[in-house]
Amino acid sequence: MSTLAARDVTKAFGGLTALAEVSLEVAPSEIHGLIGPNGSGKTTLLNALSGYYLADAGRVTLGEADLTRVSVQRRAFAGVARTFQKPRLLPTLTVVDNVMLGGWPAVRSSFFGTALSWLRARREEKVLRERAEELLHGVGLAPVMTRRASLLEHAEQRFAEIARGLMAGPRFLLLDEPAGGLTPHEIEQLGVVIRTVRDAGIGVLLVEHHTDFVFRLSDRVTALDLGRVIRQGTPAEVRHDAEVIRVYLGA
Amino acid sequence: MRASRAVVVVGVLLALATMPWWARDQYQLHLAALIGVYWILIAGLNLVVGYSGQLSIGHVGLLAIGAYGFAILTGRYEWGPWWALAASGGLGSLCGLLLGLPSLRLPGFYFAMATLAFALIVTEISLAQGDLTGGGTGLPVPGFTAPFDSPGGFHALVLIVAVLITWLTWNVARFMWGRALIAVRDSVVTAQAVGVPVFRAKLLVFVLSGLTAGVAGALFASLQSYITPDTFVFELGLFFFVCIIIGGRGTIVGPLIGTAVLTALPEIVAPLARWSTFFYGLLLLAVVLLVPEGIGHMVEIVRARLRPRSLASFAVAPDAERLARCLRSEPRR
Ligand SMILES: Nc1ncnc2c1ncn2[C@@H]1O[C@H](COP(=O)(O)OP(=O)(O)OP(=O)(O)O)[C@@H](O)[C@H]1O
Ligand SMILES: [Mg+2]
Repeated sequence: MSTLAARDVTKAFGGLTALAEVSLEVAPSEIHGLIGPNGSGKTTLLNALSGYYLADAGRVTLGEADLTRVSVQRRAFAGVARTFQKPRLLPTLTVVDNVMLGGWPAVRSSFFGTALSWLRARREEKVLRERAEELLHGVGLAPVMTRRASLLEHAEQRFAEIARGLMAGPRFLLLDEPAGGLTPHEIEQLGVVIRTVRDAGIGVLLVEHHTDFVFRLSDRVTALDLGRVIRQGTPAEVRHDAEVIRVYLGA
Repeated sequence: MRASRAVVVVGVLLALATMPWWARDQYQLHLAALIGVYWILIAGLNLVVGYSGQLSIGHVGLLAIGAYGFAILTGRYEWGPWWALAASGGLGSLCGLLLGLPSLRLPGFYFAMATLAFALIVTEISLAQGDLTGGGTGLPVPGFTAPFDSPGGFHALVLIVAVLITWLTWNVARFMWGRALIAVRDSVVTAQAVGVPVFRAKLLVFVLSGLTAGVAGALFASLQSYITPDTFVFELGLFFFVCIIIGGRGTIVGPLIGTAVLTALPEIVAPLARWSTFFYGLLLLAVVLLVPEGIGHMVEIVRARLRPRSLASFAVAPDAERLARCLRSEPRR
């Protein structure tokens, strides 16, 4: 079974060690929660897994493949998709166009090929559009499909980013605070989406501050503090860990 | 909506194709051909500036290379005009590649400066290599063979090439590569996340724009029938750029209208010919201040004003079953 894994990953910015020998493994069909105080290195770890930061030491692997030095783009092709702590949609495109962009790894038409043989590109386009529309129905954004992304509500942006991430049929989906800024009701809906994604065989890394949400949803949880793993285990184990309570959860 | 757009396109094409029969004089034909030639370059440049967001102000250098290439190959080496036209396109894309390779990695401002430097260097070379280019005195340029040697014939040739080039760039713009280019323009981080090879995408459009600039150069030279380094002043490069800004980013129609209007402007305000640059400036200022999205988006903007769609929010309600079904049917790679 191929997992997405960070092995003893270290990352420093100048004198600041954002990650110190962090190991974490996301399995297929698993929701892996990642919690920790502000600045504990959660986003940095997600960036190391998706390729935006290259680890100073340690390795990143997907199954047998070593991704440590591999570019963000090649990781996307290998099946690693992500969303951003601050949603990054293309403001001038419609929602469905934004989601279609996520299907880039499935595109076969070359640049000059598209320019010349539009028939093939048009066939591809049709398949991609159908899938994007299905996904948008699936995550519940069908009513805003043709709206410009710049006009979306915050929650809609978050769901649209998830749909974009799912477009290429990833093996792993990394979510950076997907519940940030959502109402309790919307967080429930988000939970439905994430569970569905997991049940489809995709491994999910869930970075979140809503700890109740994380503990309820996750199969395993990792807690970070100051760039170190302080506890890893089932939600119950992590929730009752004395160290985790002291540095993060509070009494 | 789609059908009405097709009607407009066919109508405009018919009007342009029959122009030799209804134009008032030869000069109008010449002007139409000039707009067409400029558009051939701008259509490619539009993908660079309007779609991928790379601010090239030096495409006049590529135009000059295509023009001199055509003039030298047909005049000095007596190539047929068709071969020379193709060679100019090839030369333009090769120079696009050589210019793009080192400069497209630079951040926006420095890239613009690199293209500016390129245009200046091309001018200097055309002055210095007097044996080939005629130096400051310039070169006469042979025309095309019959039936494209008359003003009407040349107009038809330009129209055919322009339609072809527009179609190529439209294919790029409307499918996945178009979205990828807009991602490169608006959010490199997003482009990377979905797997778009950012540098390669920029380079490919730049090479395509070199091709269209080279072809435009050949036709431009033939239309002018005599070229000197002064034909390719730097202002011309700015002019191309301004046509796209006025037309709007991320559209094809906008810059097309921008090109037609700005090229014809000196004629429209003929009594004020000395003021034409003033009107460029005024128009640019008005667009930037009043419709910064460009005239190509004006229809959209007006429509949104007239019929403000209710942006009433709704509760996001996922359909788990539908999502699951969709996820099981992988878009296989
Ligand atoms: N590109 C960078 N350059 C310098 N320092 C950085 C960079 N990225 C992150 N850091 C630092 O690394 C530490 C970890 O940051 P990170 O963003 O990973 O935290 P986080 O756990 O995601 O926090 P939050 O919950 O606030 O999102 C912080 O001290 C941050 O200031
Ligand atoms: Mg963070």
